[in-house]
Amino acid sequence: MMKQYFDGLVAGIERTLRENPENKSPRKIYALEVAKLGSRLYSGKKRVAWCGVTAPFDLLNAMGVTSCFVEFVGAMLASTGMAGAYLEEAEHAGYAGDTCAYHRGVIGAMRKGLMPEPDFLIATSVPCTGGLAVMETLAKHFNKDLFVLNVPQRLTEESVQYLADQIRAMVAFVENHTGESLDKENLRRAIHFTNEARVLTEEVYRLAQSVPSPANGRVLSNFGIVMALLLGTKAGVDVATAYRDEFRKMIDNGESGVADEKLRLLWIQNRIQFKNPLVDMLEADYGAAIVSDELNDITWGAIDPEVPFEGMARRAISIPFNGDVTRRIAHLQQLAKRYRIDGAINPCNWGCRQGTGARGLISEGLKEIGVPVLNLEVDCIDSRNFAEGQLRTRLEAFTEMLNERPSIW
Amino acid sequence: MAERSTERIGFACAYTPLALIQAAGFAPYRILPMGDWPDQAGQLLHDNLCPHVKRLLDRAMAKDLPDLSGVIFVNSCDAMRRLADAWRKVRPNDRTVLIDLPATADALSVSFFGKEMERLAGILDEWSGCSINAAEIEDSLFQYGQLARLLSDLSNRNRRGALSGGSTRIQELRNLAVTEPVEQTILLLQQALAESPATMNGQSGVPVFVFGNMLPDPAAFALFETCGVHVVGDDFCTGSRMFGEYEPSLSEPNIFRRMAERILSHPPCARTFDPGQPIKIASDIVNQAVACNAQGVIGHTVKFCDPYLARIPMIREALKTANIPFLFLEGDCSLRSIGQQRTRIEAFIEMLR
Repeated sequence: MMKQYFDGLVAGIERTLRENPENKSPRKIYALEVAKLGSRLYSGKKRVAWCGVTAPFDLLNAMGVTSCFVEFVGAMLASTGMAGAYLEEAEHAGYAGDTCAYHRGVIGAMRKGLMPEPDFLIATSVPCTGGLAVMETLAKHFNKDLFVLNVPQRLTEESVQYLADQIRAMVAFVENHTGESLDKENLRRAIHFTNEARVLTEEVYRLAQSVPSPANGRVLSNFGIVMALLLGTKAGVDVATAYRDEFRKMIDNGESGVADEKLRLLWIQNRIQFKNPLVDMLEADYGAAIVSDELNDITWGAIDPEVPFEGMARRAISIPFNGDVTRRIAHLQQLAKRYRIDGAINPCNWGCRQGTGARGLISEGLKEIGVPVLNLEVDCIDSRNFAEGQLRTRLEAFTEMLNERPSIW
Repeated sequence: MAERSTERIGFACAYTPLALIQAAGFAPYRILPMGDWPDQAGQLLHDNLCPHVKRLLDRAMAKDLPDLSGVIFVNSCDAMRRLADAWRKVRPNDRTVLIDLPATADALSVSFFGKEMERLAGILDEWSGCSINAAEIEDSLFQYGQLARLLSDLSNRNRRGALSGGSTRIQELRNLAVTEPVEQTILLLQQALAESPATMNGQSGVPVFVFGNMLPDPAAFALFETCGVHVVGDDFCTGSRMFGEYEPSLSEPNIFRRMAERILSHPPCARTFDPGQPIKIASDIVNQAVACNAQGVIGHTVKFCDPYLARIPMIREALKTANIPFLFLEGDCSLRSIGQQRTRIEAFIEMLR
């Protein structure tokens, strides 16, 4: 079923791009690559590894492994409106309803045979303990080998070495399963693509900081986290190039992502993955543009091809969800300053202990620099309890409050 | 709380290296979620965060703590990490440290965790103004090994139904072992073992193995007993898991690495696992229940605990396969929450009789 879905999606987007080459929006190119990834995952022909969020996907791409973090499946189920049945399946099997719905969706998909059987699994200890648990469960269910990357909390030479050594061990693990050695030329090429995409993506984010911004509430949704899956590939470079070119063109033409941009918003952590009218309402009724997402940033330096595993280790450790919350708050403050943010929205994804757990501290941290935060109560995957009316009212009150106060910038 | 001469270091997680704290001249003090404090943690932490962590923060915000010379947090789970963040906010003058903890016990991880132990030793040196040496750590490890053996002996006696006070008393002693200087507790345990074995105790209870994350309140064990449970074995982070016996290893010369190996090879909390044997926790619980001749198993976890909640379905399945009846309870670290489960516990025991 999913193979047909993704194949159909690929064919549809390719047809549109072929028939309307002038209308080659970066979001379409991005969606095409995501659909191709989905198609490969469900093909039954490719080597597949289910992974944690901070796995080195460029390295796995270099080794010929189609790899993806499991949360992708939860998001996909939600975005296609299918999550309910899979969440219920997990709940009926005893998985608590107050845990992360991304992971519950994965468990439901696993139990109903919707998760492609992997060749092996690579778990990561960051961002969350819930993610580790679901990887262990998948390994048991599929009876497949599991490798764990323990991502240290602090960025020190010792911790980088520890993770780099684990990545080396991971390479041996993958080689054992594929029967093929890591080709040094493939790795070098993958790192070249990673570094190229990194520079381009930084430029995309820099352009999104323009006032008014070429970004809106949809164009960069989930971008940063999904781009990690395309690292090490030409596709990743192409997607980032398309965004950069489009944003440059828009800025040159005096166009903005949201017509008559009045408010600039920062979205904290996850987007709501199922269809909902909130972003449209913010833009149409209040001229409020989500110009920045917390997960859309480059926090790592270029990977040195001479010592690639150390660079990959630094990258994994660098994500703002890692370490203590002061690091995350400092990052959010930087984003707010760079993007001249008027207010931030935190959906407080229900069940996310690591991300949502510190919401009070995050609110205080942004308040320190004069940026108000609206904390919502949303399950970003599970639409069953989505209180649209209540959320509309709160967003309306928030945007009205922002409109009435002078800009802090 | 009574004044004590020994300076205390607070901690909140069973992975904390107590022997190192003691070797540094401090008394480890586990900040237990037992008491009644205004619910204030929600100002900083989300409602769906672990009640253990929130009650510890409530306790900190209510200033119901003895003097602490520092607080050690361990990165054992998301909630513990968030506790460390919030603690620094509500008690900015406390000296705190967060120690990293790998999820696996492979050689690389043991080596890294050993370095974390060394880092902690350096921090404790700063806090105490003295330098810890290897011989002091060895002595301290020996003492904690002794304490673990004594507690294990008492648990065995309780298993035979020959300990006055039963599992309630065991839990009281365990709580003392994490809040009082080790020498004092060793004396108390030796005295308890010197008592004549009780007779008839527990014989009318149904042998049950209990496991989970947090169950520190002795009154919870008293409630189990009044429901007809004879706790013949347990696996809680506030119970047996806290005290692993220490076997000196001559093959590993580095004391910190040895401590790391010991801590990571403890009977693990669900957050630590062997990737080579996924969900081994399920068979471990079955094996523990069988080893202590339990007729049934009760699992008790505090709400919102991802490491346990994610593994409970497979634990349930393993127990079912082994034909061992299982009752699962969720609580919020208050006696009230477990008190509400009385009828279910009684019904479970009736079913086992």
